[in-house]
Amino acid sequence: MAAFTVIDHEELTGAAATWTSATIPSSYDHLYLTISARGALAGSNDYEYVDVQFNGEVTGTNYSSTILWAGSTTPGSAREAGVNGLDRLILMNADGSTADTFGNASIWIPNYANTANYKQALGKFGCENADATAWHWLIGVGAGLWSSTAAITSITIDPQNGDLMQYSSFTLYGVTGA
Amino acid sequence: MAVIEAIATTYLEADAASVTFSSIPATYEHLQLRMSVRDGSTGTYGEIGLQFNTVTTTTYSYHRMTGNNSTAAAAAYTGVNNIALNYVVAEGDIATSYTSIVVDILDYANGSKNTTTSTMLGTATGTTNWAMAHSGLWDSTAAVNEIKVIYRWGPDIKRGSEFTLYGLNSS
Repeated sequence: MAAFTVIDHEELTGAAATWTSATIPSSYDHLYLTISARGALAGSNDYEYVDVQFNGEVTGTNYSSTILWAGSTTPGSAREAGVNGLDRLILMNADGSTADTFGNASIWIPNYANTANYKQALGKFGCENADATAWHWLIGVGAGLWSSTAAITSITIDPQNGDLMQYSSFTLYGVTGA
Repeated sequence: MAVIEAIATTYLEADAASVTFSSIPATYEHLQLRMSVRDGSTGTYGEIGLQFNTVTTTTYSYHRMTGNNSTAAAAAYTGVNNIALNYVVAEGDIATSYTSIVVDILDYANGSKNTTTSTMLGTATGTTNWAMAHSGLWDSTAAVNEIKVIYRWGPDIKRGSEFTLYGLNSS
């Protein structure tokens, strides 16, 4: 059996508030999600915070995430907890960044279907921009915890301040062990 | 059809100025380039770079976050003629060491998107120790049909370096 299977893929044909993969089977060992996305937040905003949510849970105290990032010459770290999603796991480009440039991100979710443990996620992202000014670009890695033993059956990507723009694309893979 | 397919592998039997993957089909959703690289410069580390579709103009940018032993730093570059990948182990370091690099290029054939890269790089020899998260931009919406890996400090990329380009399908 192939180690990687495509569960879902979508390229947005227009702006959308969120993207959701809603019927994730429990038959894989791990999930791997690639995200090439741009948020509609405009003006001087070059990047956008993103809530990553599971199983339609959009409120509550079950999410916490920690990020190691750099948007200037000094890397830093930040943590958010008790919020509406994993919002320090990845970020994406916003509409103030170089035209036609989409954020490049991926998320690993190991052992997503087990019902004994809380779920951990590992994110990696780059918000590229033809701009070297501090905080007009952003790169980083993030760790996320969803304090639930429920198997993950859906994933939602929700920019905090606007829509996902047309051409944003999402590919969700199921990964199996031997 | 496999989800992940090897498009091509190049193993350097001799030192080379560059490595090129040409005629990359547009049929995949994403590309991933995995490299085990040693730079030919005389210091403990050097640099290589990425160029797409034979374009050598100053249409590239890159940003990096690095850890070197106990020191963290970051840097930004725009208006350059390649996406530089820094801190690649070189001839001044242990003879058998090579740097590990994985480059993700999402949606590389989409004519509505500029090409971006997301890279993780590790160089750990005991003498030279770098971990790096890196992103790059080629300010062009052209589909990527060629990737060229060049030396920046040179004079070459060393024998024994290996490069494999994978295509990731989305159906």
